[in-house]
Amino acid sequence: MQAPVRAALRSIVGDANYRDTDGDLVPYSRDATPLFSARPDAVVFPADTAEVAAVLELATRHTVPVVPRGAGSNLCAATVALRGGIVLALTRLDHVLEIAPPELLARVQPGVTSKALADAAARENLLWAPDPGSRTVATIGGTVATNAGGLRGLKYGVTRDYVLGLEAVLPTGEIIRTGGRLHKDVAGYDLTRLLTGSEGTLAVITEATLALRPAPRTSGTGVAYFSDLATAGRAVSAIISDGVLPATLEFLDRSCIRAVEEFAGLGLRADAGALLLFGDDGEPDSVAQVMARMADACSAQGALEVSTAGHIAEAEALLAARRCALPALSRLGSLTILEDATVPRPRIAEMVDRIDRIAEGHDLTIATFGHAGDGNLHPTCIIESHEDTDSVARAERAFGEIFSAALELGGTITGEHGVGAAKFPYLSAQLGPDQVSLLRRVKAAFDPAGILNPGKLGS
Amino acid sequence: MNDTSRKAARITGRVFDPDLLSRCISCGFCLPACPTYAATGDEASSPRGRINLMRALQDGDLDPYDPTLTEQASACLGCRACEPVCPAGVEYGQLLEQWRDHQWKGRRQPPVARALMLVTRLREVFRVLGGLRRLPADVLGKVRRPRPGKPAGAATPEASLMLGCFEQVLFPEVSRAARQLVPELAVPTGQGCCGALHAHNGDTATGERLAHRLGEDLPGTIVTTSGGCAAHLASVLGRNRVREISELLAAGGTTAVPQEPQPPLSKNELGELKVDGRRARVTLQDSCHLRNGLGVWKEPRALLDRIADHVELPSAAGCCGAAGTYSLLRPRESRRILDAKVREIEAAGVDYVVAVNPGCLRQLQTGLRRSRSRVKAVHIAELLAQAVEASRN
Repeated sequence: MQAPVRAALRSIVGDANYRDTDGDLVPYSRDATPLFSARPDAVVFPADTAEVAAVLELATRHTVPVVPRGAGSNLCAATVALRGGIVLALTRLDHVLEIAPPELLARVQPGVTSKALADAAARENLLWAPDPGSRTVATIGGTVATNAGGLRGLKYGVTRDYVLGLEAVLPTGEIIRTGGRLHKDVAGYDLTRLLTGSEGTLAVITEATLALRPAPRTSGTGVAYFSDLATAGRAVSAIISDGVLPATLEFLDRSCIRAVEEFAGLGLRADAGALLLFGDDGEPDSVAQVMARMADACSAQGALEVSTAGHIAEAEALLAARRCALPALSRLGSLTILEDATVPRPRIAEMVDRIDRIAEGHDLTIATFGHAGDGNLHPTCIIESHEDTDSVARAERAFGEIFSAALELGGTITGEHGVGAAKFPYLSAQLGPDQVSLLRRVKAAFDPAGILNPGKLGS
Repeated sequence: MNDTSRKAARITGRVFDPDLLSRCISCGFCLPACPTYAATGDEASSPRGRINLMRALQDGDLDPYDPTLTEQASACLGCRACEPVCPAGVEYGQLLEQWRDHQWKGRRQPPVARALMLVTRLREVFRVLGGLRRLPADVLGKVRRPRPGKPAGAATPEASLMLGCFEQVLFPEVSRAARQLVPELAVPTGQGCCGALHAHNGDTATGERLAHRLGEDLPGTIVTTSGGCAAHLASVLGRNRVREISELLAAGGTTAVPQEPQPPLSKNELGELKVDGRRARVTLQDSCHLRNGLGVWKEPRALLDRIADHVELPSAAGCCGAAGTYSLLRPRESRRILDAKVREIEAAGVDYVVAVNPGCLRQLQTGLRRSRSRVKAVHIAELLAQAVEASRN
């Protein structure tokens, strides 16, 4: 990057909000994705939308790549500066601008964390529904840009279902506002939805207007053990066919149960092939009824054991099994590759079976947990050491096969993590050449100089 | 340094224990827990960012004398608030010690820290200083000095009280209170430093050596009134050798593994603390290493609940800015953290803010004095000793 560009960046954001020494750039060389790293040329921390616009306009003029970044907690290398350039860190834009209970909405800056928004909403007795596993750290900008999911997708949907409007800066510097405060608004192409999940390749989100819901008054949690995942899958089908739309339906496979038990000693059944965590929220009477129906459905399908929590402490103990899944697995080795292939709900057991066989074929440890309610699986590969290049190569081949298997079963290469740089090579297999070419034309319409997050999505 | 030696230094690659360094999965869950990240918003001053810097140092991807490396090794409070929230179990405190061991080698060690460490080596200085403040007469008078490794009395004592090198000079009343609370504790004289100061300031070898020596000098379970010393001693001597005083009192018994469920302070022994005729209002400031390193935080609260109205400080689990030598090495940053803490304490409307570590106690006293607050900072042992007195009146 040339000296005049550096000087111009400094004058836009101020010296205190500009970094470009080797040591300052190292921490911005990667995000939460293993195996991806690239050093940018500079990091800037703009204070407001005007500074974002000035940086982008400058970058387009000089054709310098710009990678927007929130907390860098994504798992698809969406914020790795593959081609260097400027990392645009939006963490200083961290204000909840408005919570409007009568309109059931919030207006926030992109650097607000998901948890901060949820807390602000909760103070007004409202719910911010999307709850990705990284909610304490992930920013709303990143949550919208990757269309993040979470643990209650079946009942509450994902981020896109809650984005009403956006303020965004185009790579050429213009500031646009899409959508607004309305739940009904059909004027124009739905650019709000296009930008949601665009992974920082089309525009930089500088403000989001988000839908909230009334906070549920209570919640319930239960756990069921099954001899195998196929039986657990039948129980899930039975629950949903029974007309129940539960807030929680999470599962752990045999390897996960074993790892969690070794790590946390929660007293999980060692002989079970699958653990299903089920729960719902809402009015106390209705939750009690739904919990009983789900427990019955599990028993009817031949669960080894079913129990429901009588109070919050018991519920927390049950939820601990699911929360411990990643910590337990990550302790088995130094490299943890967490993926999110997703299949139609009735095919979960079949998919996990395919994953197990692929892992065996490549002599790898892959344990699977995930969201049984929406078919979103998290096959997690554990490798002893980063330096074991042979295992890493085998893992890459195995995940290629896992993505193909997901597509064969009518699923997707990514349910909620995003494509980023990590799954870019597999994208065309899912979308086909015509759609990929349309993506490129969309990208060019937004970003004629190709400066925004190059090497991803429509690039 | 010429290019060849710089390159050699870059590829030695064993600053950190590779097993510790490879634990981090870079998820970023530590970011919201980190006080320095909260202050700057810069990934470089977050635990994950610092671990990426450590990795670059280890792998030779960064000049070992890069200014950001030096700055971040010292800007970290070392509070270890990142450890309890880490899903992968990264032992950040250990990594930080190894980092400083490398970064602050020799002349690069901050002069203030070096001076303090020299002082701690002169055991006699402490005894003299202690003597000037009438410490031995009050606290140690009835205990004969044991030979190292030998019990103080006829029978092997189950537990010994650690006096703490700075505490016995600055706050002799704390050990006095501890002895009142647990009279059966042996109190060997001539105790040295536990080495926490050294381990946190770039000299892990001395830090370990001093801990071992203290372990030989103090028979049985080592009971300490300092959360920071407790965590360091536990990391060197093993968790079972060490009990922080509130942990000991809340769990019961002076043995390492409590024999009976009965706490040493039974209900009728702990009276109610009164201020102006009403029940006292108190709040607790956690010791970072006690909470994040040893997982002890419920115990002091349980004790305070028994003697007063205990109010939880919103940031109780967050560092007060003392952070060992941090308040001396980086006074400006330390003060910024302390000022916010003092405002919170003032807003809590309490009579006492309670510390479980002498460094925090000194920091809180300084902050409260500066803002002319009416709130008093005290050590938990002192307050409990007062409550025992109260039960007898």
